[in-house]
Amino acid sequence: MSARYGMVIDLDRCTGCGACMIACAAENNVPPLPAKATARTGITPMMVRKLSNGKDGAERREAFIPIACMHCERETPCVAVCPQQAVELDKETGIVMQMPQRCLGCRYCMTACPYHARYFNWWDPQWPAGMEKSLNPGVSVRMRGVVEKCNLCHARLHSSMEKAAAAGKKEIDPADYVPACVEACPTGAILFGNLADERDPVSVAARGRDTFRLLERIETEPKIHYKTTRSWIRAAADRQGHGPTEAQNG
Amino acid sequence: MKRHGIVFGFGLVVALLIGWVAFPRALYVQRQQPLDFFHKTHAEKSGLSQCDSCHALGSDGQYSGIPRTEVCAGCHTEKVGTSEDEALLVDNYVKQSKEPQWLVYSQEPANVWFSHAIHTRRAGLACAECHGNYGESDQQKVYEVNRISGYSRDIWGHSISRLRRAPHDGMKMTDCEGCHRRHHVETGCLGCHQ
Amino acid sequence: MKVSRRDLLLGTAGVTVGMVFTPVPWKLLGDVSVWTQNWPWVPQPQRGPVTVKQGLCTLCASGCPMRLCMAGGWPVGISGVKSNPLTKGALCSLGFAAHQLNWHPARLREVRHRGRVANWQEAQAALEKACSEGPVVVVDGRPGRAVSTVLQEFAEKHDVAYRVALSPGEKAFAPYADWTGIPSSSFGYDLENARTIVSFGTPLLEDWGIPGRFARVWSEKAAGKDDPELRLIQIDAKLSHTAACAWRWVAIREGSDAALAGAVARILVEDNLVPARVAIPVTMLEDAAAQTGLAVEAIRQLAHVLLEKKPTLVIARDGNPEIAALNVLLGRVGEPGGVVQRGGAGRAEVPLEENPSKYRAIVLDASVPWEFMPRTNAEVFRFAAWDGGGNTADWLLPSPGFLEEFTDVPTAPTAARENYGIAINLVPQPEGTRTSGQLLATIDSSLPTVEKTITLRCEQIFHSKHGAVYGDTVQAVAQMESAKKLEEQLRSGAIWVGDVPRTTSLHCRLKEWPAPTRIEPASDWAVEWPAPVLPPLAGKLYQESNLREAPERSRA
Repeated sequence: MSARYGMVIDLDRCTGCGACMIACAAENNVPPLPAKATARTGITPMMVRKLSNGKDGAERREAFIPIACMHCERETPCVAVCPQQAVELDKETGIVMQMPQRCLGCRYCMTACPYHARYFNWWDPQWPAGMEKSLNPGVSVRMRGVVEKCNLCHARLHSSMEKAAAAGKKEIDPADYVPACVEACPTGAILFGNLADERDPVSVAARGRDTFRLLERIETEPKIHYKTTRSWIRAAADRQGHGPTEAQNG
Repeated sequence: MKRHGIVFGFGLVVALLIGWVAFPRALYVQRQQPLDFFHKTHAEKSGLSQCDSCHALGSDGQYSGIPRTEVCAGCHTEKVGTSEDEALLVDNYVKQSKEPQWLVYSQEPANVWFSHAIHTRRAGLACAECHGNYGESDQQKVYEVNRISGYSRDIWGHSISRLRRAPHDGMKMTDCEGCHRRHHVETGCLGCHQ
Repeated sequence: MKVSRRDLLLGTAGVTVGMVFTPVPWKLLGDVSVWTQNWPWVPQPQRGPVTVKQGLCTLCASGCPMRLCMAGGWPVGISGVKSNPLTKGALCSLGFAAHQLNWHPARLREVRHRGRVANWQEAQAALEKACSEGPVVVVDGRPGRAVSTVLQEFAEKHDVAYRVALSPGEKAFAPYADWTGIPSSSFGYDLENARTIVSFGTPLLEDWGIPGRFARVWSEKAAGKDDPELRLIQIDAKLSHTAACAWRWVAIREGSDAALAGAVARILVEDNLVPARVAIPVTMLEDAAAQTGLAVEAIRQLAHVLLEKKPTLVIARDGNPEIAALNVLLGRVGEPGGVVQRGGAGRAEVPLEENPSKYRAIVLDASVPWEFMPRTNAEVFRFAAWDGGGNTADWLLPSPGFLEEFTDVPTAPTAARENYGIAINLVPQPEGTRTSGQLLATIDSSLPTVEKTITLRCEQIFHSKHGAVYGDTVQAVAQMESAKKLEEQLRSGAIWVGDVPRTTSLHCRLKEWPAPTRIEPASDWAVEWPAPVLPPLAGKLYQESNLREAPERSRA
């Protein structure tokens, strides 16, 4: 198997409901954080941000952009800086694999990531008594002091690999490997698949006219693409989190 | 000076004795399994001669590991033999639909993902290659646990120096890596971790 | 021989050097590092076989089918069911963490009476005493279920009143009931066939109705298109998520929706855009312009745009009759793409009186929203699985939680077609919890059981020969072998969907334009959430990100 898993997210279909954020947190055993956690110290491997056209009143337009690890293909910044080799670009799947078990918590990768897609465990993961029974057995729980991020739902990749092996097949059935966010999206805004396969719908969509990637100029070759017919979104997308177009709450 | 050498040597010997004899004994402590189970008896008496008669792979690739009480209840709904342990099984577990809290010899940490489906079906490995001929044993293996790490002695292997050990003795990451290297199977981190 | 200090030091040196050549330091290093990664307070997931089951969520009246991964008898993962025709695999955003709710710290596990721990016997005795002392009312927040039948039977036999507490969305159908004589519970929206939808502040794309339904319709027909097949016009005081996604956002001032509806109606009539003739005061236009902040010309344009792509459906957030009247003017009541009457007998439902102080006791079923707190001196018996805090009920009675109750799911309130499902309890109902039906059954053991009532309903569906059962395959009821088989299918997670709605024009005429009524302020998303508490992961949406506004009231 030599795949390049990636996504095309249709920003015209994203309603900002946050189902992807919740489904991601539930699938990956992300703990609910104490009341003092904020947007800066929280853990949201999938995070939906708001974009606006910068105007006010009736002229204002807003849109939503789901941000997760871009699984950069070229000169992956976090891989380059990690002193522990706790993160690696997998040759077989194209997933940038974060190993929290190897991480020593220096957070150099968080500084290096141009997309702010990495999160640090500032607190011990805690769930109310008994709630650990609802944890996903396919994902190990991290400890305090390590960085985590989206791993493209490796637990689901693992079960699809096991299912294929049990059936005597070498390749997984693409219908068996669907990350939680893709499955949760009520409007079907997230398209997921193998970018290396030209016939895969995600590959076709990635080559579409309205498709772009964030921060193309730094040439990290992210595998998460975005698609929109609205030019103001394209212009605002690169500045999300950095400029006046980041829409704050309220 | 000679005396100094003797004292030094004495200390050296004491350390070597502690390190090689006392330490391995103290590090591990034995624990009792909830029931005594003999593989050979079952293989001979009930025609369950294959490992996967009880340790089965599901169609979705999930591995049963140590079989659940339901599997035992397939034959042991009532006592079929005379042993005390079987009586315990039937009374305390089968009839109450409870699972014995087996101590798993090959228990790996939660962040390890080992797929029996991939290793037995795709790679065609025999069970004995990693687990030895345990299926033919007429005694139950003693379960020893490392007091500090909490894992079974089978993971490190019985030899504290890891020298001169049986091929299947030891299931640390280096053992997995060694076998992968010999068979030229490359995997990324997510290939074995979760 | 005396042992000197030098001997000690040399001996120690010997031991130290020797230790390096033993496994001690190296093994300890490895083992201690493993020990440091296994703190006992870091929880571990279960290691068990994972089985997949299908069930129905019963947190709200939509009853979305869910695919649940179960391990150790508990759900460890939730996803939707793609083959379901109503939800198409979608769930509400917080629904993906619903399986954590049963362990919420606010989970109610014992009977409480005014703050102190009591027990079921005391509660039952108190209820029986109340029934003998004066009028009692049972309030049902989700009428139409099998347990509702149990409550109604109890009410009839014991001279107890039975009332309902409807959500604002359900109340939106009340005006049509007044104008047609058909019960409001028979109405739904035919979203799939509308080509223009005008929403007056209704959060259509924010977990509204059956969450996946409109999201899919909008995604297929409207998203990203400059000239979409479905035009969504959102009339909203703020730029909500729905407004941001709409084809047009009409920004008005808070509370002026009804005035705008009146003005639009005036223009529709004045400009002969609709055949209906209703007298609407001409001052409506200026009033609306003043209240909404829109120019009269803009309102006129809006009225014309409404009819560019027909059929047009108007959706109100609550029971405001002026907004509902627009649908009548547009001739959309009982028409495809409009407000449709579903098949099946409607239910005559009486909402709880505004002032319930004539009652000696009020029993609130767990389905009644937590915020519903009648102002009364009556003794209030409140069923709930979680204590949402701030409640003034005298008795808090622990109910079964998520997936713990064996119940059924009647037609979802805004659906265009009838539907029915059985929600079996995939998790055993905990000791010490009871549903309202179960408590009443201990008072009167002659009441029908929920199981029996559900079997009867399956038989009714079977004999009607209408609709189809959507499970792994789709099977028409007319071709099913027996009612028992139908029930079996429903018990394994399939749902029954009835035929397409009747679209013969209903006799619905407005004699006069409705008088202005007070608009209920819009509740925030946390109040709309049906359970008394939010799943713990909800904080991801407002605390650990800026996606949603933080709830006004602490609902954690």
